[in-house]
Amino acid sequence: MICPMESHNPEMLVAYAAGELDVEAASALERHLAECPACASLATEQATVWKALDAWEAPPVSPDFDRRLYRRIANEVHLSWWERIVRPFRPVALRQLIPVTATAGLLLMAGLVLRHQGMVAPPQARAETVHAEQVESTLDDLELLRQFAPASSAESVHPNAM
Amino acid sequence: MPCNVVRATVLGAGMALLLAVTAAQPALCQRQNRQEEFPIDRWNRMSPEQREKELAKLPPERARLIRQRLRRYNQMNPQEQQALRERYRTFSEMPPAKQEIIRSRLKEFRQLPVERRPIVHHEVEGLRAMPDAQREGRLNSDEFRGRYSQQEQQIIRDLTEYLPDNGGPRTSPN
Amino acid sequence: MGVVAAALDYDAELMLRVKDGDGASFGLLLEKHRAAVIHFVYRLVQEQPVAEELAQEVFLRVYRSRSSYEPTAKFTTWLFRIATHLALNWLRDERHERGQERLDDGSPDLPARQVLDRRPSVEQELLYEVKVQEIRQAIATLPEKQRAAVLMHKYEEMEYTQIAKVLGCSESAVKSLLFRAYTTLRARLAHLGRI
Repeated sequence: MICPMESHNPEMLVAYAAGELDVEAASALERHLAECPACASLATEQATVWKALDAWEAPPVSPDFDRRLYRRIANEVHLSWWERIVRPFRPVALRQLIPVTATAGLLLMAGLVLRHQGMVAPPQARAETVHAEQVESTLDDLELLRQFAPASSAESVHPNAM
Repeated sequence: MPCNVVRATVLGAGMALLLAVTAAQPALCQRQNRQEEFPIDRWNRMSPEQREKELAKLPPERARLIRQRLRRYNQMNPQEQQALRERYRTFSEMPPAKQEIIRSRLKEFRQLPVERRPIVHHEVEGLRAMPDAQREGRLNSDEFRGRYSQQEQQIIRDLTEYLPDNGGPRTSPN
Repeated sequence: MGVVAAALDYDAELMLRVKDGDGASFGLLLEKHRAAVIHFVYRLVQEQPVAEELAQEVFLRVYRSRSSYEPTAKFTTWLFRIATHLALNWLRDERHERGQERLDDGSPDLPARQVLDRRPSVEQELLYEVKVQEIRQAIATLPEKQRAAVLMHKYEEMEYTQIAKVLGCSESAVKSLLFRAYTTLRARLAHLGRI
């Protein structure tokens, strides 16, 4: 591999630290890093900076952010945000909503009973898809469990290890 | 108007049926898949397009964090990954109530002052390695009560009892 | 971005529904992008109340533009273009007014709850604050475009092509901007690895 610094492609080292290179390019670069102290030093420093930047978390958003925004929108269009949201549903009158809600409630309860008893067979097509939320909750559990991993007790007290 | 009522009822039934089936599916899929395969392995096997489609359903900040955490998981060495997967598998097969106890105690553990964590961790590891009688003796000793706060004692007791190791929980899950 | 690519952009679909008068779709877009826009603007201007005001203006402009909206680019590209434009304009006006850049006003908007949750010891918290303060200052010293590029690259995980479209330059220019920015950051922050 040609040295990224000599081939005027030092951006590659930034991409490497950001985990943007594909496996082949990353391994080729890693072989080069083993032989080139200048690139190795830059890559290490870049990785350090990349990781350090994670520490800067943004403050939480104010709870009334949406309310303020919708008020501004309402002031502009002379309609409340609620009116604008429900407008498309207005044709369904209250009298019609009663049977809709009643039937929906009954069937939803039936669904929940089925869910509890495990009577509905899962469709095959969905078996291979994992929802991002499921991955997220797995990661949450893994991070919690990892705190007590006996093999890495040195890392175990760091809550942000993963 | 009766015609509208009928139409609305049919509409409601359709929507609710959809909701009901949707509500019933994830838990079952989850239960089956959990027994079958580790969710992150299945995620890693999905195409990049499928993964991005799933992530796009979440707010970008949350999706970004998931990507970041997955990258960190994927960068762990294979032995550590394997050990963690085994532990997770045992954990996910435990009854939900016990899973909740573990989650909640591990979260409390994470909130302990940083200097207390290694002490509590060491105590749990020690207790888990002891024979039952010795462990009971230790948990009821004055030395134990004097050394740890009420909260720490609870964390230690529950984690000693329920925390799964790679071979399974120390006691029967039921 | 072509029609096909735009058709795959779910956000663009939502925006077209907003154009057709569907307020709920605007709510979905807000829910999805609120945090990212506010956080991005916050890291640019480094003042939370200002960031929220500017983010309000961003979403207000999105809403105002609904009737003329055409999905010619990815929705987030458009959104971040508005956000970058407003934030950089604010920085220029502010600098002009004050006669100097506001780098460190001694009141860092740290996410206090998260800090306390994760770092209970006082020493660690102080160390963390010092570290964050250094990062804030280092980012603030970057020229505008470099700063925006780094924030989109690092914190929003945007691809080079998208950053290029937001900033209105070529992809190679973005790579070069980023390399120069990270060179500055390495010089100022590489020692943080030892903390």
